[in-house]
Amino acid sequence: MTTNKDLSLYFHIPFCVKKCEYCAFYSLPRAGEEIKALYFDAIKKQISFLPRERRIISVYFGGGTPPVLGVNRLCKLVESVVSGFRLSDNCEITVEVNPGTAGAEELKSLRAAGFNRISLGIQSADDAVLTRLGRIHDYAAAEKCVAYARAAGFDNLSADVMFALPGQTAEGFLISLEKIVSLGPDHISAYSLQLEEETPFYSKRDLLDFPDEDVEEAQYGSLCGYLKSNGYEHYEVSSFAKPGFKARHNSVYWDMGEYFGLGAAAHSFFNGKRFYSSPDVNAYIKKAQEGLFAPTNYEEAPVTGKDDMAEERLMLGLRTSAGATVPALKKDAAKRIARLGYGTFDGERLILNDKGFRVSNAIIATLI
Amino acid sequence: MKNIDRIRNFSIIAHIDHGKSTLADRLLEYTGAVEKREVEEQMLDNMELERERGITIKARAVRFVYKADDGNEYILNLIDTPGHVDFGYEVSRSLSACEGAVLIVDATQGIQAQTLANAYMAVDHDLEILPVINKIDLASADPDMAKREIEDIIGIPASDAPCISAKLGIGIKDVLERIVKDIPAPKGDSGKPLEALIFDCFYDSYKGVIVYIRVINGALKVGDKVRMMHTGAEFEVVELGTLSTFSLDKKDSLEAGEVGYFTASIKNIADTDVGDTVTLCDRPCEKPLPGFKKSQPMVFAGIYPADGSKYGDLKDALDKLRLNDSSFTYEPETSVALGFGFRCGFLGLLHMEIIEERLEREFDLDLITTAPSVIYEIHKTNGEVVYIDNPTNYPDPATIETACEPYVSATVITPSEYVGTIMQLCTDRRGEFIDMKYIDTNRAELHYLLPLNEIVYDFFDSLKSKSKGYASLDYEFKDYRPSKLSKLDILLNGDIVDALSFIVHSDRAYARARKICEKLKDHIPRQLFEIPVQAAIGGKIIARETVKAMRKDVLAKCYGGDITRKKKLLEKQKEGKKRMRTLGTVEVPQEAFMAVLKYDDE
Repeated sequence: MTTNKDLSLYFHIPFCVKKCEYCAFYSLPRAGEEIKALYFDAIKKQISFLPRERRIISVYFGGGTPPVLGVNRLCKLVESVVSGFRLSDNCEITVEVNPGTAGAEELKSLRAAGFNRISLGIQSADDAVLTRLGRIHDYAAAEKCVAYARAAGFDNLSADVMFALPGQTAEGFLISLEKIVSLGPDHISAYSLQLEEETPFYSKRDLLDFPDEDVEEAQYGSLCGYLKSNGYEHYEVSSFAKPGFKARHNSVYWDMGEYFGLGAAAHSFFNGKRFYSSPDVNAYIKKAQEGLFAPTNYEEAPVTGKDDMAEERLMLGLRTSAGATVPALKKDAAKRIARLGYGTFDGERLILNDKGFRVSNAIIATLI
Repeated sequence: MKNIDRIRNFSIIAHIDHGKSTLADRLLEYTGAVEKREVEEQMLDNMELERERGITIKARAVRFVYKADDGNEYILNLIDTPGHVDFGYEVSRSLSACEGAVLIVDATQGIQAQTLANAYMAVDHDLEILPVINKIDLASADPDMAKREIEDIIGIPASDAPCISAKLGIGIKDVLERIVKDIPAPKGDSGKPLEALIFDCFYDSYKGVIVYIRVINGALKVGDKVRMMHTGAEFEVVELGTLSTFSLDKKDSLEAGEVGYFTASIKNIADTDVGDTVTLCDRPCEKPLPGFKKSQPMVFAGIYPADGSKYGDLKDALDKLRLNDSSFTYEPETSVALGFGFRCGFLGLLHMEIIEERLEREFDLDLITTAPSVIYEIHKTNGEVVYIDNPTNYPDPATIETACEPYVSATVITPSEYVGTIMQLCTDRRGEFIDMKYIDTNRAELHYLLPLNEIVYDFFDSLKSKSKGYASLDYEFKDYRPSKLSKLDILLNGDIVDALSFIVHSDRAYARARKICEKLKDHIPRQLFEIPVQAAIGGKIIARETVKAMRKDVLAKCYGGDITRKKKLLEKQKEGKKRMRTLGTVEVPQEAFMAVLKYDDE
């Protein structure tokens, strides 16, 4: 067994104030106090089922918007992790926060309870764009939130930024990016908007003015260029970090490290197996009440074979600036990819560059 | 014992959809040859595909008994005929086995191209033609118009033609009575040396080939040694009998005038050509029955498995299909682009589509088919004449004295309002106008000489779309004519893709080249690099398009360690790749090959 491996923990908090127009993730807006209390109890129950012998190297509370569960509850959960498990010295403990969902006091409490990294969903510095996305905050709220977080003692702060947004020009994006960078985040996660089915954006997609591919490419170009010139390293498809601030928790995913997911819709990779809880808060609560957290009580992801593992390693590795080792039979393909200007290949390891990251799906497809 | 005067051998002929199969069903039902509940829709067409397309591909025959008003019982042999222009020869052999034909004309549509073609063929075979007006139940039916057309255009009396509705079962008895009265009994002498015509055959895995015959003279018994006069093959008859609706009825002998089957442990269907004459080895007839032709494929295409590793499966499937259809041919060929496959010959485009569909459906194969080609007759400067059915083998233009292409004589019948459009279509397809006559005030019959090459593209589809489905087509091979031909090559990323080469009339090369480059551009997905799509004649590039390099293909988020979405995407990409062929470095989906096959004017 691989029980001596390090472990990471992911907590899924599927509650938010209001669903954004583009969001396809599992999250319940306007959930009542009662269900939140039950959900909190359920997670506590699941924590009690976790193995204690493995060292925890990162903890991540994502959502939804975690503070919507209640800042007190978040604090209690993180405290039970900090006190109940063996944590590595520099264990990274992140909480996702939306500007406007936590004020100065709340952020202080979160920091005091044990969170040491905050991920802020800023997305854009353009209020018109934020409104169109259906965000609940404006840019001024984001600025304030950064200041509060710093004041509360968060010295590791990440900002989410989006591009390829409706009505967003190349210049508009760059201006927005400059403003966000001026707030001094240590880490930036930058995503191009992905149009997902079953979102309001999808149903009105024909009415939305999405940037064409030239504009999107220009935005991506200025994203990579501007962040690089400001000292951020592009170390993963969507991630940029100042030296020393790479996201430890996300790196676990890409490096095939193991993690345990808690809460509804949370995914785990544990003892070599991938499994998850179904995206259904009520079912999750019921499961907790019945104490059904044995490994067999999870939905199993359909892949665990040896080939699958190798493919996953390649697929995840190529997302990062560390790259991935290419199977012997695919070396010619890797050489070709490097020759086409998508990265570098030293005969073993293929590392994609900014241009390669943009088409990484197609590249991975040629290598498996 | 057998009374030849009480036998009636007949076919039903009609334009497609005029109700041939429905009438056949009603005749069988009426005479009790089948119970109504047994009637699966149109049971004579017993291949699934035929039912879906509403056409009969292979001839079938059935024997049933009718007790006529004169108090006598008659044996009726209904010999079904394939209903499409590609199968003209098979139709003619089936008609040779009959003394009469029931000619169905749809009372709402009147005479159509295949009505005429089939009626003329029946006249050529000296058959008694019994006209029947069908679909009189429909509001738009005009039986008098249909009768008038039969008299005016075909020139046979039709004033007392039965007016029926096969669908509703109206007038069926009338048809049966007229078959008995009007169609002559076969003439023949069972004492003479055996002369039997093969009009169909199919392969049965237990009995070998089952040969359908009409005995003209003489008699055949189990144990007889027989010879196929054209192929020369000899066999000993194991079993024989007559054909009932759902089974073979074993008998001891078949005599002059009868229709039936025999088996003789025949392993190879190529030994039993439709149209061949069966006679006895020890007492042969003087000469074979007239009209035999070796069926000649007219259209050729390369068929390749989409997944190269399925070559063996494709070969097995072709072997099996060929057992039941000796009219298509295949031989192994290799394409640089597509790997191992087969060059297949078909009677026509429809025949090709049927074979393709059967391969895909019955054998679960994914296929890539190259553009269909006709056979070109090339006279070389050294006096040699070569026949080319594969563009890859087209000789160096410098060695060609004259290149000839096959022409067909085509008949199009169309409502008058489309005459202009259809003449334009024929002219566009290099047709040579022969003549035109008005069948009545509403419809015209056009005669053109057309290059077969133009028909094998999508002439039929264009004809149908330009006439809202009303125009009908019939054609037969005419001759080879000198023509200005060029071989057009397609290059992807600078490399010639042999499977996409085709031969085209020089005047149309530029337009076709542009069209094909555009289509390929639209059907080849963006890849990691820019792909030039070019068309060339000789070494000269005459058209070019570019498939731009892809700019974005990334899943931004792997949220909360959920990599299942990314895995799914990857699986989808893997699936997609299976349907792609890698030509050099370019991945080309099957659809791109398909798209090149069809070109349209829009």
